[in-house]
Amino acid sequence: MSMFRLLLGTIVAATLALSARAETLKLAVGQRGNWDTSVAELGQRAGIFRKHGLDLEILYTAGGGETQQAVLSRSVDVGIAAGTLGVLGAAAKGAPVRIIGAETTGAADLYWYVPASSPIRTVADLAGRTVAFSTVGSSTDTVGRMAQAQHGVAFRMVATGSPPVTFTQAMSGQIDVGWAAAPFGVEALREGKIRTVFRGGDIKAAEDQTIRVLLTHAAILAQKKAALRSFMQAYRETVDAMYADDALLKSYAAFAGIPEEVARQTRDQFFPKAAVDTGRIQGLDAIMADGVRFKFMAAPLTAEQLNQVVALNQLK
Amino acid sequence: MRAGAALFGLVVVAGLVGLVQVAIGAGFIDEYTVPRPMEIAAALPRLVREEHVASRFLVSAAETFAAGALATVVGTALGAALFRWPLLRRSFEPWAAVLAAAPLVLAYPLFLVLFGRSSVTVVVIAFVSALPPVVLQTVSGFSSVRPVLLAVGRSFGLGRRSEFRHVLLPAALPSVFTGLRLALMFGLINVIGVEFLINLGGLGALINDLSERYDLPGTWAAIGFVVLVSVTFFVLLDGGERWLRQRG
Amino acid sequence: MAAATGIGRSTWGLASGPGTAGPRLAAALLLGGGWQALAMSGLLFQDVMPPLQVLAGGLGAVVLDGGFWANAAVTGAELFLALLIGGVAGAAVGLLLGVSAFMSAAFERWITWLGPTPKIILFPVLILLCGVGPGSKVAMGAVSCFFPMVLSTAAAVRGVDPVLLRVARSFRCGPWQTVLKIYLPSTVAPLLNGVRLGFGLALIGVLLAETKLSNQGIGFAVMQAYARFDMPRMYGLLILVVGFAAAVNIALGHGTRLAAGVAAGRDR
Repeated sequence: MSMFRLLLGTIVAATLALSARAETLKLAVGQRGNWDTSVAELGQRAGIFRKHGLDLEILYTAGGGETQQAVLSRSVDVGIAAGTLGVLGAAAKGAPVRIIGAETTGAADLYWYVPASSPIRTVADLAGRTVAFSTVGSSTDTVGRMAQAQHGVAFRMVATGSPPVTFTQAMSGQIDVGWAAAPFGVEALREGKIRTVFRGGDIKAAEDQTIRVLLTHAAILAQKKAALRSFMQAYRETVDAMYADDALLKSYAAFAGIPEEVARQTRDQFFPKAAVDTGRIQGLDAIMADGVRFKFMAAPLTAEQLNQVVALNQLK
Repeated sequence: MRAGAALFGLVVVAGLVGLVQVAIGAGFIDEYTVPRPMEIAAALPRLVREEHVASRFLVSAAETFAAGALATVVGTALGAALFRWPLLRRSFEPWAAVLAAAPLVLAYPLFLVLFGRSSVTVVVIAFVSALPPVVLQTVSGFSSVRPVLLAVGRSFGLGRRSEFRHVLLPAALPSVFTGLRLALMFGLINVIGVEFLINLGGLGALINDLSERYDLPGTWAAIGFVVLVSVTFFVLLDGGERWLRQRG
Repeated sequence: MAAATGIGRSTWGLASGPGTAGPRLAAALLLGGGWQALAMSGLLFQDVMPPLQVLAGGLGAVVLDGGFWANAAVTGAELFLALLIGGVAGAAVGLLLGVSAFMSAAFERWITWLGPTPKIILFPVLILLCGVGPGSKVAMGAVSCFFPMVLSTAAAVRGVDPVLLRVARSFRCGPWQTVLKIYLPSTVAPLLNGVRLGFGLALIGVLLAETKLSNQGIGFAVMQAYARFDMPRMYGLLILVVGFAAAVNIALGHGTRLAAGVAAGRDR
């Protein structure tokens, strides 16, 4: 029995073991190209998920509602960047959703801007103006109202939809103040085409709200618990790597199709590492209060219901 | 016989709906993807009470009417012009055909810039989408008139204008009305679609809101109101066609 | 005069010929000039209404990008299958409704009423049935073009000359023979016209589905371009889609003229 045979045997066994363990998970990800939503893609490209025995099939949606629907119909295993409000609302209706991690906490990536030619300079100038937010019940809706309370200014909020549509309307003068989430518009900021009026990161009340989550279906959680545990481990490892150095930053810039400086500004100014900590699920009471107000749910979830929905501990 | 057939159709449709209800209850269809028909029915009064469905219905219906009426007037005029001058027809009928297939709704940012965030944008996009079918159907309707009818007209010594009024128009009327129905179909789809996309105004915006709130019964009930708009217009169109036919 | 006005001979469009270049060029210059004037005037947000040279640049960038052709192939394949499935199903149902007055009175109104409803509501159900991949996009396109296809076919079948049907009966033709030898040749021209109209809806259905849940296709590419506010690229993609629609229409138009010619030839 030569060393060679032993080595060969080990290699074959290891390869078999590794390929046998490579399980495929299907993901639905909202808002392709944002820093927080790119964890899966970057981790996949860097081989981190493969190291944990996972192959990811990543599909992109146009928003949180579709991400949630894809999970609920079990067409995908994991949904990334679904709005917490929507997920809790579905849970209140008895849908078998399970939150397996926080995706974004706080609103540091949001900012409100005006065209360079606008006379508006500070939040005080916003009195009586039209200010954009995406849709009723969204984080931009919440943060916009928080901003009014924090600064004691009353302005008119208008639902304008996604950042590109909002940008079109803001630059055409159809609305006074537009909203965006980095990296959208960061290049325009750098070029001086637009100017920030206030940022989500300045709004204290928003700091501790987990506005987007990772979710799965209760049945998938039961069937694929081991794979989901590996997934979350690999996810956390990728997040660490994204902030440790610039290797994944470059990968992100290439993936999102943006210049590297824009990518760096997005990470360093708009996404503090704490914002994408998957272990922090916070502010659910305030979120559920909004849920009742905006008719996402008839009443807040009971502690028992919450315990069932928020399934982080099951994957520890 | 017509009443019997209509009843038969209704029974079959009701039966299918009932089948869906049973299938969801038995778990063959996921209840979190397709809501039970009974729940959808229960959501209808809730929508009327809480979501201002009546005014939204009127907004969508008005936008559809505006787009459809514009498409009809402009479309039949253009169609008649293309038929009257063969060179124009040979030049631009293909363009109308291409326009009919183009997904104009994807260029909605352009329309937003041109016409602002208002019902005008919705109506314009729906009008431009509904125009080509009307033009194409009008042209083909006039050109399919059987030659024997025109020969008869000429043997009576009819001038061009009389020929148009008394021979061409009545003979082409069924085709024109088909074009109107198509205009309505394209128009309404686009009105609801654009309202949904830019979250403005009538039933389309309501569907957007309800689906974001994961109110599945509500979303499907709102679709029901869209069908109601559709039914209203088609019943009116059918009545109009019958009245014109009777007038000769 | 009858020949010149095309009366009695439905050409179903696309009969280009001598002299069309003039009016088309004039129209193109008018539209292009109008656009350029509006874009350069500074009256409107230039990013969304870019001058023609920027549009040309966007078009060039898209065409030279290898990824575009891969996406185009995916969408093209999905569209072809959608038209095939929706077209055949629609024609079959339309034939039934056209032939049977009873079935028409029973069901045609439901098809008409349900036609203008947004089919995108069915997309989650289609994902359930056909998976998250291209299958659900094909299904979306098929469902979208089914309805106009049914109505066009039914109208076309009802328009078949009753004389021909009596001739068929006098020859004691069976149902299949009647369909193949009478209905099909007489209706193939309006049928293709129905396909043309259904094509637009199928295209929109497939593209919309690709914006909802996907990772490939032209609809996906358009959404990505718009999300980054890369308007030249988005317009480049849209121009190419319209160009593709034009090409398909020309092909369908030639097919229709051929079929109409064959049918007319048979009538002589």
